Amino acid sequence: MIKTENLLKRVEVAGGQLEILKGIDLEIKASESVAIVGASGSGKSTLLGLMAGLDEATAGKVWIDGIDLQQLDEDERALLRAEKVGFVFQSFQLLPSLTALENVMLPLELAGHKDAESRAAGFLERVELAERVTHYPSQLSGGEQQRVAIARAFAAEPVILFADEPTGNLDTETGAHIIDLLFEINREQGTTLVLVTHETRLAERCDRRVRLHAGAVVEAQT
Amino acid sequence: MTALRMLLRDWRGGELGVLFAALVIAVTIVAGISAFTTRLQNSLEQESHRFLAADRVVSSSTEVNNSWGEYALSQGLQVANTLSFPSMVYAGDEDMVLASVKAVSDNYPLRGELLRSDQPFAAPQAIANGPAAGTVWIDSRLFALLDIEVGAQLTIGEADFAVTAAIRSEPDQGSSFLGFGPRVLMNYADIPATEVVQVGSRVEYRLLLAGDTDALDTTVEWLEPRLQNGERLLDVASSQQSIGSALQRAEQFLLLAGSLGVVLAAVAIALGARRFSERHYDYVAIMKSLGATSGRIARLYGSSLLILGAAATLLGALLGWSMQSLFFLLFADALPVTPAPSGPRPYLMGMFTALVCLASFAWPPLRRLGKISPLRVLRRDMPGMAQRTVQDYLVGLGAIVLLMLWYSRDVNLTLAVLAGLACSALVAAAAATLLLRGGRLAGMRAGSVWRLALAGLQRRGAANTLQVVIFSMAIMLLLILVLVRTSLIEEWQTQLPQGTPNHFLINISPEQVNPVREALDRKAVLSQPLYPMVRGRVTHINAEPLGRSDDPEEGRRERETNLTWSDAVPPDNEVIAGSWWEADSAQPLVSLEEGIAESMRIKVGDTVTYTVGARELSVTVASIRRLDWGSMQPNFFMVFPPAVLQGYPATFMTSFYLGGEEKQFLNQFIREFPTVTVIEMDVVVQQVRAIVSQVSAAIELVLGVILLAGALVLIAGVQASVDARLLESAILRALGAPRKLILGSLVIEFGVLGLFAGSLATLAAELSVYILQTQALDMSYQPSPLLWFLGPLVGIVLIGGLGVWNCRRVISSPPLTVLREL
Repeated sequence: MIKTENLLKRVEVAGGQLEILKGIDLEIKASESVAIVGASGSGKSTLLGLMAGLDEATAGKVWIDGIDLQQLDEDERALLRAEKVGFVFQSFQLLPSLTALENVMLPLELAGHKDAESRAAGFLERVELAERVTHYPSQLSGGEQQRVAIARAFAAEPVILFADEPTGNLDTETGAHIIDLLFEINREQGTTLVLVTHETRLAERCDRRVRLHAGAVVEAQT
Repeated sequence: MTALRMLLRDWRGGELGVLFAALVIAVTIVAGISAFTTRLQNSLEQESHRFLAADRVVSSSTEVNNSWGEYALSQGLQVANTLSFPSMVYAGDEDMVLASVKAVSDNYPLRGELLRSDQPFAAPQAIANGPAAGTVWIDSRLFALLDIEVGAQLTIGEADFAVTAAIRSEPDQGSSFLGFGPRVLMNYADIPATEVVQVGSRVEYRLLLAGDTDALDTTVEWLEPRLQNGERLLDVASSQQSIGSALQRAEQFLLLAGSLGVVLAAVAIALGARRFSERHYDYVAIMKSLGATSGRIARLYGSSLLILGAAATLLGALLGWSMQSLFFLLFADALPVTPAPSGPRPYLMGMFTALVCLASFAWPPLRRLGKISPLRVLRRDMPGMAQRTVQDYLVGLGAIVLLMLWYSRDVNLTLAVLAGLACSALVAAAAATLLLRGGRLAGMRAGSVWRLALAGLQRRGAANTLQVVIFSMAIMLLLILVLVRTSLIEEWQTQLPQGTPNHFLINISPEQVNPVREALDRKAVLSQPLYPMVRGRVTHINAEPLGRSDDPEEGRRERETNLTWSDAVPPDNEVIAGSWWEADSAQPLVSLEEGIAESMRIKVGDTVTYTVGARELSVTVASIRRLDWGSMQPNFFMVFPPAVLQGYPATFMTSFYLGGEEKQFLNQFIREFPTVTVIEMDVVVQQVRAIVSQVSAAIELVLGVILLAGALVLIAGVQASVDARLLESAILRALGAPRKLILGSLVIEFGVLGLFAGSLATLAAELSVYILQTQALDMSYQPSPLLWFLGPLVGIVLIGGLGVWNCRRVISSPPLTVLREL
């Protein structure tokens, strides 16, 4: 489903270049759930961004469903994301001027779904927020916001879901609840899940863990 | 997702306020001001036609060819005839007076109206047409001169007429009143019965034409080649100087104000759009991460702008229409004519302005939204793409020049404003850079209010410099408008102050000088000195005889003119060449008015020869004077030392002010001094004052709208920097800084920005006003010391107030709430 080959990312910094990823080779199968773990600054989020086509690699390749992302321009990658990819972020990334319902509708509208509203409402019900559809993000707690984000991620029925520290901004109890929800829907939809986290408990629920250190894979375990 | 829904959501979220308001104001200003000036222009054109009593006039010393009137009628024009001639008029057998008779056809006047009263000097009433056949209306003073009352019989030549009213004013009575006898207005159909008009009589026939422009143009084109010697075509250009120049300046001012308003609105639109786009970085990044292409984003924002533009155009056109309607509604009574409709053009101009503003100021930052990296969803510190390019600035500048030129149709005005703007932007940028970025202080300096504020100013040096430039330009434009408006209105008021002489007395004999002065003093009417007047004619310049010619200008020069004498320079006169003679000088000298010296090509030192009575008088030109013809004071082309005109036959003249309720005094005065001629100018003075005060009010109204645009720029400018300040302040508060410290530093920070901006704006405004008044508006320049206090103060209060108001959340809500929202 996802494959990387000698993936390299360098950025310009004051006084030279910084190598964030140093040749990552990785393969993730359909419906598999993989946790990318490592300390802060180990390159986890950068790897996620590259695999999701949000950023361009300095060298190396990424394939999603057999499509070489390096061959696509930004707009073609966007269309690919619309079709196959969903996201859950640490900082939720809900649009503050949209209600919960409108936030969930957004990817459906982008994909051209005619029944965006009813589908979005259905997903909000699935994450137990049926009563909060007209609320704005600022009127929701962190856990509720992340549930809206999960509803939004699954609403377009992606084949791959990328989650970047989904519990990073939540307390333990709420985080646990969110994780249950995430895995539950993931299972129902048979989605491939790529999850960046530094929480061992969360990583352990995945089929496989990949540990990064200073931009290189130091350990891959199942 | 449709653009409309996004707009509605943004509207709800308060993201569109400034952008939308700026667009609406741009359209309102353009549509409102141009509808206003168009309507005013149209009605003023009508107004000036009143001074002709028609749109075009053919003047002739012989009867106007009948076929001309028929041709004009066939073109759909209205046609009227008048005939003016001097004639003795009689009441009974003894009393007779030389009167200036005017016979008018039934539909006279075609433009404007007649004023008459039932009794001499009583309250005048407007009436559409002249006297019926068999009746006459006569000048108020003629009642006293002939010792008759309304209803009496008056004889002109061989015909008798019933006097039915006093004629008070005619639209085309003209301003060359000297030498005219009292008016008798009669019906054109009665001329043959009087038998006074013979071949060779001194008469003036007029053919009056009025109607729509195309028909007029066709008729004029047809008439021009048919005009013979002694026949002239008159149009509006030949009327009323004092109203004309006042109104022309008012119009220029309105166009200037409109242009500046559009510039201000354009800046506000650019700032509003920029902020709108910054606020949408995350929006776009999230949409892109969810699969939106850049084309889709561009389409989304492009159509949003179009919808926004359409809504703003509608609302702006409506507001513009209301603004000018409200004005005409409020001042309908003061208007001498019904305001003419403006047509759709002003509103189309408003729409076009909105389109240009959107395309040149709002679209560039929004277009770049498509380039936002979706990676921003993972890394919020990714830079946005809103850096302005040189191309953007060029497009913006081009659009401003285009709009100003198109709008003001005045290259000089546009260039003056642009030069002022460019200079002030440069000076402001340089000064702000020096002051704000002199040296960077380390850290936030959170120890004291002042150090915290000043460190903040320097930390955001680049953004603050831009802000100071924008603020100072906005304040400068507003100061310019206030300054120009103030001197404009002051100039008008000093031109025709309360108590401006509105009556003239001429033909006062030397023996009557003291009794007349006493009579005027008794009534306590403000009186000018009595000026001596000697009739004389220029015959030679530097011993060269003045050639006879058919050129009417030449004829005017040769005509008799009024000479006066004075020891001192007459009040309100300014010697612009040569020097004034010493008191008691007996040297043969003369001082000439600028215009007449120019038209006769006379310089200081030339010799001019006059015929006065039967004698010749040769004098040397000692000085050239400039005087104000709009002032309603007695003015003379030619002034001599008293000793030089000693012994020539002189009469005296003066002018004085008489309030409407005191007009009965004239009855008694005329009975006492029947040979003195009274000329009433009160109706004209009243009219000029009414128009001036009405146009002043219009200027105030327009200024109010422009002030709104300026305030919007300030709000947009402050908003642009609010987010960064909110974040810093919220962090400081979270770290334990007391509210007083935050509030104090915000007040100081914005106050200092306001002080800079206000001071720079004052400097630039003073400079621009100097250029504008001396170069574009033809007014005298006076420095305004008060401004140097007001400008900076306005800056501090406005920017400080707006800044703190926009940042109030950081003090009023818990820091966590602020941090979560940012």
